[in-house]
Amino acid sequence: MKKIEEAIIPSKPLTRESFTMWILLLVLSLLTIYALATIDYTSVDMGKAMADTLNNFKTIFFHPAAHRLSLWDAFYEVLITMGLAFLTTLFGGIIAMLLGLLAAQNLAPKQVTNIIKGFVAFIRAVPSILWVLIFAVAAGLGSVAAVIGLTFHSVSYLTKAYSESFEELDRSVIEALMASGANWWQIIFQAVIPSSVSSLLSWTFMRFEINFANAVAMGAAAGAAGIGFDLFMDSGFYFDLREIGLVTYFIIAFALVLETISTNLKSKILLKKA
Amino acid sequence: MKLELGVNREFCEPLLELKHVTKYYHGAAPALEDINFSVAEGEFISVIGPSGAGKSTLLRCINRMIEATSGEISFDGVLISKLKKRDLRKLRTRIGMIFQHYNLVDKLSVIENVLHGRLGYKSTLAGVMGRYSPEEKQQAMRIIDLLGLHDQVYKRCDQLSGGQKQRVGIARALIQDPKLILCDEPIASLDPNSAKIIMDHLRDVSAQMGITVIVNLHQVSAALKYSDRIIGVNQGKIVFDGSPSALTAEKIAEIYGSESNDLMVELGERYAI
Repeated sequence: MKKIEEAIIPSKPLTRESFTMWILLLVLSLLTIYALATIDYTSVDMGKAMADTLNNFKTIFFHPAAHRLSLWDAFYEVLITMGLAFLTTLFGGIIAMLLGLLAAQNLAPKQVTNIIKGFVAFIRAVPSILWVLIFAVAAGLGSVAAVIGLTFHSVSYLTKAYSESFEELDRSVIEALMASGANWWQIIFQAVIPSSVSSLLSWTFMRFEINFANAVAMGAAAGAAGIGFDLFMDSGFYFDLREIGLVTYFIIAFALVLETISTNLKSKILLKKA
Repeated sequence: MKLELGVNREFCEPLLELKHVTKYYHGAAPALEDINFSVAEGEFISVIGPSGAGKSTLLRCINRMIEATSGEISFDGVLISKLKKRDLRKLRTRIGMIFQHYNLVDKLSVIENVLHGRLGYKSTLAGVMGRYSPEEKQQAMRIIDLLGLHDQVYKRCDQLSGGQKQRVGIARALIQDPKLILCDEPIASLDPNSAKIIMDHLRDVSAQMGITVIVNLHQVSAALKYSDRIIGVNQGKIVFDGSPSALTAEKIAEIYGSESNDLMVELGERYAI
């Protein structure tokens, strides 16, 4: 007992790495304080600006109302946005399925997986809105550019997710089936996909939710129609805060419904598999 | 011993024959060096040797899961080394394989895993769709019953014990209707009781169905108890090839090198059985 009390707990030695880390944190906090202290607000009164913003929020969230859009119109526009999300997830999922198989290290030769993974990482590094604008050069601003651009980004996202799901199946299982004379496609459909079906589904739903949010943004930024475009018009042209509130609530409601459906579907499929 | 083999040859072609098989990985030392042996139909052969001696490589060269660098392997009158992809696939259907870590698809049921053994006989489309004939399903059930897995048929494989998983592995190999079964350390991850059950099943497979069995083993005692013939491998070379009764303590020392001291105890078990 005595020995334990006497034992000295060695303090963490100050290594070069931790020293550099401390210096870095110190410099960054000093810079932050300096920036906040010397920022040029010009004519904006911070207190008043905060109050006004909160006031706007109050109008948006507590007094939503329809002026230009009828409730039915708003609903229909959300459906269009949903269609955009569905279409891009469907196209993206199909293409990503094939690319995912070729990008999985247990299924394809290393050179192929490296090329595909690198290519896909490059696409993912560029934000989806930028891809939409790039495709808008060829397709013109609008829904076509939005579908192509979002699909492009979905493919890269899902390829990574799918290939990692496929990699959950051990290489040795595939070897065992090869040794019994099964060919590649048979192994894919009889072993690889059944093993990863639940994670494939959850990634696809995840991307669908992301695409729904993106589709709203595309409506505003790329004129791809749907509820996002109305949001853009209300805020940028009509300054109609109340209708912005209404549209926001519609979008939130739909997102919640999507979330509930996907959770239910997933648990049902998982139960069936168990 | 060579004389015996000579006599065998007069009666029938050996089922499997390896001639001067050599395998180099990237290193300078060969994993297998000039391996020669032939196997008659229905034989139960154990391959023993220290870890890294090339046992697994030897087994995988037989069904070309690993390509031998040089040498000839013929199976059932066919020269394996020259086969094209499609013919190789056809040949592999006649060679079952069992693994140390079972290598089953964990998320599928026992029967689904067993039926995987039939994929090699199917067209790509039928295999992709998972269409199995009623006869194949009945055969699968028969084999499952035979291995005592009747109550587990629809269980997912990740819910089985190690011994049960290995029996599923055997069932998957048996439904291929193989002439030869290769077993890569089938009992290395099992407790002694399950190991005995698995080895008993393998012996039955060999004795009752006339299927040739080649087993890589770590346990000298199991090799002595079950095999018709033992092949000792060390550093990629065959250093012993003969019946269990010819495997003396000196031979074991030769196979295992310096590791052999502990094994002397195991040799004693031969007389205990």
